[in-house]
Amino acid sequence: MRKKTLLPYQKSLVIPAVLIFSFFFVLPVLASFVLAFTDWNLSRFTTPVWNGLDNFLYIFTDRKFGLSVKNTFIFAIFTAGLKTILGLFVALAVNRPLKTRNLLRTVYYMPAVLSMVVVGIMFDAIFRFDGMFNQFLGTLGLESLQQDWVGGYKTALPVVILADVWRWTGFNMAVFLAGLQSIPNDYYEAARIDGASSWQQFRRITVALLMPAFTVNIVFNTIGGLKVFEQVFVITGGGPGFASQVFSTYIYSAFSQGLLGRSTAMSLILFITVFTLSTLMNTVLKKKEVS
Amino acid sequence: MKPKDKERLINLIVEIVVIACSFLIIIPLLVMIFGSFKTPAEALKFNALPPTTWEFANYSFVIVTGKILLSMMNSIIVTLGVLIACVGSAALGGFILARVESKWSRFLQSFFLAGMVAPLQIITTFAMLKMLNLIGTHFAVIMVMAAVQLPWAIFMFINFIKGIPRELDEAAFIDGASTLRLFVSVILPTLKPIFATTTVMTAMFAWNEFMIPIYFFNNSKNWTMPLTVYNFFGQYFSNWNYVFADLVLTALPITILYLFSQKFIVAGLTAGSVKG
Repeated sequence: MRKKTLLPYQKSLVIPAVLIFSFFFVLPVLASFVLAFTDWNLSRFTTPVWNGLDNFLYIFTDRKFGLSVKNTFIFAIFTAGLKTILGLFVALAVNRPLKTRNLLRTVYYMPAVLSMVVVGIMFDAIFRFDGMFNQFLGTLGLESLQQDWVGGYKTALPVVILADVWRWTGFNMAVFLAGLQSIPNDYYEAARIDGASSWQQFRRITVALLMPAFTVNIVFNTIGGLKVFEQVFVITGGGPGFASQVFSTYIYSAFSQGLLGRSTAMSLILFITVFTLSTLMNTVLKKKEVS
Repeated sequence: MKPKDKERLINLIVEIVVIACSFLIIIPLLVMIFGSFKTPAEALKFNALPPTTWEFANYSFVIVTGKILLSMMNSIIVTLGVLIACVGSAALGGFILARVESKWSRFLQSFFLAGMVAPLQIITTFAMLKMLNLIGTHFAVIMVMAAVQLPWAIFMFINFIKGIPRELDEAAFIDGASTLRLFVSVILPTLKPIFATTTVMTAMFAWNEFMIPIYFFNNSKNWTMPLTVYNFFGQYFSNWNYVFADLVLTALPITILYLFSQKFIVAGLTAGSVKG
């Protein structure tokens, strides 16, 4: 207690971190709260003009923006759910004393270290019209099911979802595995002596004590899902038409047309959405954790 | 059946199922690796079989045409830059924030915590960098990536340093050491494991990041590997043997890093997912 705060730490050592973070991250956030309300584009870069809520009125009546918001949420919900559930199953499996478990862990985590661009191009090879999946259907005699998966209106977004799940399931597995390994074996023994069934053990011990891992995975997956960019950008480019357009790719397309004010406004909406949702989820999920 | 035999049987079934499922990961990787050694026509079959003839020339073509060496150099510069700016400042800052208990220390911690979830405001960042005439430079991309990764890195260090006894600091101060001296010669040696984890995870982030460089590198001579391979794919999308070779070259350095540093990754994930 006594000397703790009295030690003569030279507090200025925190300055490099504060400077980098404030200047390259926080400052642009603050600026966007002003510049989102201006008529501003690349050709008039130094002279943004205040235009009140015009950008937001435009955005909220823009059907394409509505579609990208819808797609973003579909993407976030499906990928977050699938990655969490599949990750849990794989973790429970490779937590058992299997002969090949170390190798299996390495293989399942592998996609998480590959660049999303590499994964995206690989998924194009699998799901394009002359790709691997259609050739596989062909060998099964299911030619009637063959279609352009990447270029189809109904299938483009699911292909992107699949690529993301393929990449991140192993990461979810590793987080659950770390949680599983921190559960003492005594708990299960005590429960068995008390006559608990294996389902009860799973429900009351495993799931209960994995709550911190669930929080990490669900929050991380959902935030990642809402921010999704390169998965869509590389595989479908938002197409066909606008069928797989999401928040961040729509921001990029407004940006590349030089519409800085409008894209800042969209980016501000994304910022507020992600910030609110993650705070909310963190509070709710933290309550479920047993201490 | 005895409970022990039943357990063994279940493990066997589980093992067969997870091995079978792992082929969903292995097959696409094999298609890519074998495909990179095939002729264009054979690569187009997209199967996981080894090539009939090994076309090593695919690689020399890609290395020359795809400007692999230049982009690999750019990726190395960016990754090292991010490591110095991010991990270095996070270790120093994390040390101070873990040790000093005051209002501003708590304020700074929640300041960084907010940055962990908030998405980057990329348009206004672009505008700021353009005003400073930094668009297209390695420096800009390095600093923005470092800023994005900093909150996570600083908490890795704060949590770890809290477990290091303060008595070490007291002793050093009594001997008349400065804070920087204390950090470098006393604290730093105890930080090896967390340094390794933070470095590996940050290197993977910087190497693979796509969105930040695509906004801020307007000139292809500064492009990092993910941008180059994306662009190469756009030009050679019908020559899958070349595309696959380019993919392999892009994935190779980071995969090697992964295979050698797995335990540090596990340590990093454990830090986040176990109640601390």
